[in-house]
Amino acid sequence: MADTNEPAPRPTESQLNRDILSVMEGASPGYFLLLACAALTFAVGAAAFLYQVRYGMGVAGYSHPVYWGVYIVTFVFWVGIGHAGTLISAILYLFRAKWRNAINRAAEGMTIFAVMTAGLFPLVHLGRVFKFYWLLPYPNQRALWVNFKSPLLWDVFAVNTYMLISIIFFYIGLVPDFAIARDRSTGIRKLAYTVLSLGWQGTGRQWKSHNRAVLHLSGLATPLVLSVHSVVSWDFAMSLVPGWHATIFAPYFVAGAILSGFAMVCTLMIPIRRIYKLEHIITDYHFENMTRFLLLTSTIVVYAYAIEYFVAWYSGVEAEQTSFWERAFGSYWVSTWIMIICNGVVPQLFWFKKLRTSVPVIFVIAFIINIGMWFERYVIIATGLSREFDPAVWGQYTPSYVELAIMCGSFGFFSTLFILLIKAVPIVAIAEMKELAIHERLHGGAH
Amino acid sequence: MPTLLGVFDNPDDVAEVITRLRARELGALETFSPAPFDQIDEALDEKPSKVRVYTLVGGIIGVCLAYLMQIWMSYDWPIVFSGKPYASIPAYTIIGFELMVLFAGVLTLIGFLIVGGLPQFSTLKGYSARFSAEEFGITVDCSERDASEVEAVLRANSAKEVSVVDA
Repeated sequence: MADTNEPAPRPTESQLNRDILSVMEGASPGYFLLLACAALTFAVGAAAFLYQVRYGMGVAGYSHPVYWGVYIVTFVFWVGIGHAGTLISAILYLFRAKWRNAINRAAEGMTIFAVMTAGLFPLVHLGRVFKFYWLLPYPNQRALWVNFKSPLLWDVFAVNTYMLISIIFFYIGLVPDFAIARDRSTGIRKLAYTVLSLGWQGTGRQWKSHNRAVLHLSGLATPLVLSVHSVVSWDFAMSLVPGWHATIFAPYFVAGAILSGFAMVCTLMIPIRRIYKLEHIITDYHFENMTRFLLLTSTIVVYAYAIEYFVAWYSGVEAEQTSFWERAFGSYWVSTWIMIICNGVVPQLFWFKKLRTSVPVIFVIAFIINIGMWFERYVIIATGLSREFDPAVWGQYTPSYVELAIMCGSFGFFSTLFILLIKAVPIVAIAEMKELAIHERLHGGAH
Repeated sequence: MPTLLGVFDNPDDVAEVITRLRARELGALETFSPAPFDQIDEALDEKPSKVRVYTLVGGIIGVCLAYLMQIWMSYDWPIVFSGKPYASIPAYTIIGFELMVLFAGVLTLIGFLIVGGLPQFSTLKGYSARFSAEEFGITVDCSERDASEVEAVLRANSAKEVSVVDA
């Protein structure tokens, strides 16, 4: 990346401690206002969910033949969001791309909360949510086991493994930073950080096992993250529904997941950086690098869109051809064109360096991509199901208010957790930033 | 038996001191570092960390358990799905992979704790908050007789301060 902006001079190590820990101290009225808004949105979603539990799935817009709607769309959306966090923390770690150190903590936190949010939706989607544990293989009175040949069950294992591994990864990375916070806090916070830091003192033995554990978890998380969205895509691709039954689905979904995930990282980090004045730590250089990922994955996604249409045409299968014709020019045309413009056309603006280095532009485009990626999943699911093989059973799906309220509630749930996280953990990985700062102090230059 | 603490700014100096003190067998060492540095790791112990054994064992247990669980459960209540055999290994690979990663990850965490000696309930001799800021420390438990030699080695490698933390 020779032509990239050179990163600004790094702050010293004590300054890093001070600046990053200061984010966790106190809270302005604005913080509480934001938290209250997020919590209220979540409460609205929760109320809608309780209403649905009371009155049944009829209140969701499910009608024949579309029985996978906004809930599954939003599930796929949130699982996808998580992927950028793992890509930044694991894959870029293995590639020794040191610029990740400034953003990996926030991205990993985002991953965990996104996957937790996603995990709610298969439950919301269940007719009898109180029997959710039937998804797991456990000894029961019916003496019956789950179907291990179903992609839906693979998904249960994939998403739960992904969540647990992300939490372990996040925690191991946090231990040295909890020790930094412990050494610089008092009272109840000191007690909490003492417990969480496990008595970390940065000895040679501790760092050695820490480094090795992080390396191994990166090695494990890298194929894991590719597997998770592949498995999610197989929920669709393993069926015979026109528009779903395609071998391109796994890479197509993974690229889309990384696109939406990086867009979400930008959407979250730009306001945090501004509010907490972290411009000297999370620099424009970091955002420019992320826009390159957005550009790359957007291009892959566009390619996948094109190939889908090509395969539909070239296969000569009438059901496939009709399904894709209906997508672009049928009753769901608005969603389809939102998807193509938001994910395919708008991110191509990042070819221009001027736009790549303008933070307001990045924020706006990232936001547009988030919208586009939600619509991508909506298009795949809703058009796929509503235009299957037999025109006699075609139908039309419109989301109900209950579904939309629960979807909004999921954004509230995610935001509430993320806003709380900012005050609970150092939002930038301090020890990892110090590694760079000390290296730079001694040898000059920057990574 | 006194414990000497040397404070440094540069991880290269720390690595150098470790090598020299080790060569002269002057006593047990402990280092404090605000960030991970390969040179200190290598000077302290050239062998790869044992955490890798935990990861490997976890992965093997996970993948075996996953296949055994799926095959056993499929035979325990035999139903033919999609015309596939009860024990259809390709279909079970996904969960095999996922549980391999899960067990390997959990055991890596356990390995990190055991190999790293965590949780550490007491504050080690010589540790202070400065070592979670920007400075590096080495403590040496040496005999009275060697104390001056240890101090000389520390100072010869640009130690900012040398003090006795425990007489």
